[in-house]
Amino acid sequence: MLGVRRTATYYLPWLVRPGLACTLLLSDVEARFEPSHKRGPFPLRVEQYDAGGALALAYDVTLTDSVEVRELALASASGGCGFVVVRSERVHSDLYVTLSDGESYTATHGRGEFVERYPLRARILLTLLGGALAPLGRTVAAFARDQYAYVGPDSRSHLLLLNLSNVTNRIRVAAGAAGRSVGARLVALPPMGASLFDVSSLSPAAARETGVWRLRLQGNAWFNFYVVGAGSRDLAGPLSLMHVK
Amino acid sequence: MSSSPSALLSVTYVEPGYRHVVELVHQRDPDARRRLRSLDLAVYEPEGKLLAEVSIDPAEETLDLAAVTAGPAAGRPRVMAVFDARYDERIFPYRPHHYGFLHREGSSSAPLYYAVGAVLGGVPQRVDNSRINNFETYVFAGGPFAERHAVLLGNLARFAPALAQVFAYYGPERVVRDVSLPPKAHTEVTLEPEHGGRRLERVEIKSLFRMATYVTGRRATSGDLVLFDHLFTFFK
Repeated sequence: MLGVRRTATYYLPWLVRPGLACTLLLSDVEARFEPSHKRGPFPLRVEQYDAGGALALAYDVTLTDSVEVRELALASASGGCGFVVVRSERVHSDLYVTLSDGESYTATHGRGEFVERYPLRARILLTLLGGALAPLGRTVAAFARDQYAYVGPDSRSHLLLLNLSNVTNRIRVAAGAAGRSVGARLVALPPMGASLFDVSSLSPAAARETGVWRLRLQGNAWFNFYVVGAGSRDLAGPLSLMHVK
Repeated sequence: MSSSPSALLSVTYVEPGYRHVVELVHQRDPDARRRLRSLDLAVYEPEGKLLAEVSIDPAEETLDLAAVTAGPAAGRPRVMAVFDARYDERIFPYRPHHYGFLHREGSSSAPLYYAVGAVLGGVPQRVDNSRINNFETYVFAGGPFAERHAVLLGNLARFAPALAQVFAYYGPERVVRDVSLPPKAHTEVTLEPEHGGRRLERVEIKSLFRMATYVTGRRATSGDLVLFDHLFTFFK
């Protein structure tokens, strides 16, 4: 009805902070088991979108064969976080992204999903509806995701929210615990934009107690997120990323 | 609810000193589906001896695994925790796995959010254990890092010992380790960071049936887990 087109897309998150490097591990190790595809080269194009949704950087990488692993250090861009899209006709393996403080690294892999393209009339409609609901702290709940979040003084989870569409995505994040509401907030992500969302900020006092919160996220267009793990130094210390389904 | 419940056998490993919470259902489920029909937890020591069996309240959404296993895990470097879940197939709507949260208490290292490995069962029978070979792969960053890597292997078979081969690749060279595990036993196979002047690049595990596998990474200085991840099954 809205005329939305979905384009198959493989993406990974990126996150660069002082003292924390973000690197992609690019390979096509799965091709070893496909006789018709096992020989390289395997060209890839990596497009890095910043938090504002702008295409900040692009990288061209060629894997010479199916066992080569190329590391691609990502430069920081506006907002310090976002996602990269990997385009390749022949690479079908899952790819990794690492966060390193120089001593060790954490890692997770990317997601093969899609990006939504809304035509102009649909973008106008969502802008009007979203604008009307935003003062109420609400959004057009076209998509919803459920997620547990972990809070406490020594360890906690944040969310790296990713807008996988070409329309402004107003995402409502609501948290509850023990059957009671903890808090809610509306986050507006620009097209192809991202935001590092501090779950604990929904209720700093409640987040000082070690516990598990149940989150419900609702957005007006397709979105996903990665769980960002932070230790006792919170976002100033080592971090981890993890995909969700 | 279906009158014919699905089943899922999933496994993780528990080390003392960690905050370790396991989600009992898939996080994508709407409220109405967040209930398992039953959940039993069994805890095994590395040699395969059963240390404890616990019936978990299926109304719970998350389980404090560190607390539940504190008794049997005491004095041991690690135990294997096996979840036997029965549920309506919509509980695990996408893939038959659930998630866990892991963090060494008092550590400044990042906590890890990870997918609990499924070994048997699914929605229905999504975890295929019928192949004559299981072949899993994981790729490592080059470093240099002060991080030690290993693979955890567990044999979930009731009666059969398991034979597995662990191949660690260092450029054109590879180092092979043969592993034999009695029923319900598990072990951690250390991967040398270098061999022949080349750094560890990837690991492969081959076995005759699906095992409970994870890749681990630990800070060399503190031993904190900084990597606890599933491998990929490419060869099907």
